[in-house]
Amino acid sequence: MRSIYLVARRDYLGYVQAWGFWLGLLLTPILMAVGMMAPTWAAASQPVRYYTVIEDGSTFADALRAELEEDRVQIARTALDPMASLNGDESDKLNTFDDAIENGASIEEALEAAGGAQVQLPQADFIYVDPPATSEEDIQPYLLGERSIETEAGPQTLFAAVFVPDGEGEIEYWSENITAQSLLGKVRSAERTLTERRVFEEAGVSPRLLREAENRARDIAEKRARPPSAAATGSAVTLADRAPFFAAVLLAFLLWFLIFSVVNYLLMGTIEERSNKIFDSLLTSVKLPHMLAGKLLAVLAVALTLMGVWAIGATLVANFFSGAMPADAREMMFTVVAAIAKPGLIFPAVLSFVLGYLMYGAVFLALGSLCDTIQEAQTLMTPLIVMLMVPMFMIVVAISDAESPILSVMSWIPIFTPFLLILRIPAQPPMWEVIGLLALMVVATLVVLWLASRVYRAGAVHGAGVGDVGKWFTKLLPGKKTKA
Amino acid sequence: MSSTIPLEMEAVTKRFGFFTAVRDLSLTVPQGSIVGFLGPNGAGKSTSLRMALGVLNPDEGAVRLFGGPPDIHTLRRVGFLPEERGLYKKMSPRAIISYFARLKGMSAGDSRKRADDLLEMMGLEEFGRSRISKLSKGMSQKVQILASLAHKPDFLILDEPFSGLDPVNQQGLEDLIIEEHKRGATILFSTHVMEHAERLCDSIVMMARGRKVFDGTLNEAFGALGRAVLIGVTEGFDLDAAMRAKGFAHNEVHGDEWRVSLPPGRDTQDALRAAIDAGAPITSFRPEDARLRDVFVSLVSEAEAEDLHQTLATSTPKGEAA
Repeated sequence: MRSIYLVARRDYLGYVQAWGFWLGLLLTPILMAVGMMAPTWAAASQPVRYYTVIEDGSTFADALRAELEEDRVQIARTALDPMASLNGDESDKLNTFDDAIENGASIEEALEAAGGAQVQLPQADFIYVDPPATSEEDIQPYLLGERSIETEAGPQTLFAAVFVPDGEGEIEYWSENITAQSLLGKVRSAERTLTERRVFEEAGVSPRLLREAENRARDIAEKRARPPSAAATGSAVTLADRAPFFAAVLLAFLLWFLIFSVVNYLLMGTIEERSNKIFDSLLTSVKLPHMLAGKLLAVLAVALTLMGVWAIGATLVANFFSGAMPADAREMMFTVVAAIAKPGLIFPAVLSFVLGYLMYGAVFLALGSLCDTIQEAQTLMTPLIVMLMVPMFMIVVAISDAESPILSVMSWIPIFTPFLLILRIPAQPPMWEVIGLLALMVVATLVVLWLASRVYRAGAVHGAGVGDVGKWFTKLLPGKKTKA
Repeated sequence: MSSTIPLEMEAVTKRFGFFTAVRDLSLTVPQGSIVGFLGPNGAGKSTSLRMALGVLNPDEGAVRLFGGPPDIHTLRRVGFLPEERGLYKKMSPRAIISYFARLKGMSAGDSRKRADDLLEMMGLEEFGRSRISKLSKGMSQKVQILASLAHKPDFLILDEPFSGLDPVNQQGLEDLIIEEHKRGATILFSTHVMEHAERLCDSIVMMARGRKVFDGTLNEAFGALGRAVLIGVTEGFDLDAAMRAKGFAHNEVHGDEWRVSLPPGRDTQDALRAAIDAGAPITSFRPEDARLRDVFVSLVSEAEAEDLHQTLATSTPKGEAA
């Protein structure tokens, strides 16, 4: 045990003293935050664009304006009551807001009526201006920036012009910019809405009747069948019912992220030892299994350090902004954490975590021992990374259906079992399957560890290289074996 | 079972595929001795030492370290400097020496103190906390040597310890080996630089083509070569013919001198008398100063010639069949 500790300690200190560790520690949360904020920033940084509609009257322009406002309406509804808005639940605030909009109020007025005057709405992306010209030829200088339109923000370039002819003629959308398509999409939606309205009117159906039909649709209550022992919980589907699924997805992703983030440490550490020709000194001082255990432990400690620091940082940030966090969101977070802590999930999850890490960690250590350079390692990494993407796709499948047959089948493939068992647990698979999968994982991990130690020995002691991997596989082919 | 004999190898053979790296090697390293393990490149020295340490398992034969198999317990009494040098580039010399000493069972405090003492002894104290990557190759090599003996091993195995060191550092290493020997350590080191073996060793083992070609003391090694005298004569005189007539059958010319081998029972005085009697115009005369290098060349050449002979003998029938 002492030698395991010493190897682990040396490797751990070696990793955390490297500048790459600190770069990863600091940059990862920053880059993740940037990634999450990017859509918001992109939306906020989008310039206000001006458009016009050339038509007789203002029917199309009004319909288009309503379409453009719809996004802001949704933002306002979400800000007003996040949980009810996302789940489609009944809410007094939302009813008041919707009624106000229905009665022709602006979004700001509707928010004020529903008690949400403090809600900050993003600025409108597109603003209507009266047509500066009415013919295609005359409007083009405005679209090309040769002439400006007068707005409240001063002279501006016209972004788009929509020509709506009377009768059945084709609507023309003119713009110099052919990549920003969102306004064009809204033009299509507006035309679809107007056409529906026109067709229904021609059929003698008033739009009011249509809306009424939509409003009179009955609510659908989601119920969950439970065994008699859990009858006291009631049949209604609550957040507590969904929490284990969220928790499982979170844990499976954490395992995936853990393996993905330590791959480099395991590979590079071993490559360094191989290229520094240090194996003989080590192997006369430590037993090979102890050396491997120490190395795996060191990298696990590095990963846990990274995650621990990020978790503490996230908690501090969350505490700092706790006042700003809605009560519903807080409740959701606590419910998911409580679901993780249940023995039925946490026991198989911890086991999957440990065995999954050992399985993949041993594979990467063994491969590193065969490589002299990073370039060699990359040739082996590519298929492994592709293989590691499969559990990621399975996480996506589990989000939409945790009882999908593909999850059940693929969970019996040992290299995917650690991830997929976690994902399947909330769906309460039969006990024999859980025990069988756990046993399969244990056996598979032992086999992988045995194989990895042999490969590691071949690389470390005999100097076997990447090219030898191909030879080993060739020997496994029946025809080749007899020739050899 | 513990024994006082640091290393015993019995009829050890190691093959890599169809290549036999070490063939039927038997040797014993007695306690308290300094044994030189000599041989040209590719003779099987490093493979033998790796088997001695249990890094490689022999295909045939047995290896015993202090009477037991070379496992992690017996290896704690051994210090090893591998032929392929390597250290963690980002660690400091002090940390590396302490790390390897701790892996061999030393306490943290003792290992650090030992590291400081050794670095000071080798004049490296000012680099004790620098990164290995900042040190010169020679300094790094010294650090690795110190790491191998930091835990005060009973048995020190050094694979080509002098390679890569300048003459000053080679002398420093010789002194260090002598110091370790005085401390009580048994030492086995491989080299192909004969002068080090001549100065340091009690006995030598010579390898060639995977086989042991000599195992004995230095005197026995010189005896194996045979004695000779070097006689210089005026140009044009056929000393070979003259000496053959006097019973000295093996004579070779080397530049201005003739090397006249002394047959059993004849000494240098006999050779001088024979040359004078034969009327040789002698310009110089001296007994040959036998060097280990000559023994080495002679034995290795013999082994290689024998190997070549065996190869040809086994390949001839195939050729005939073809």
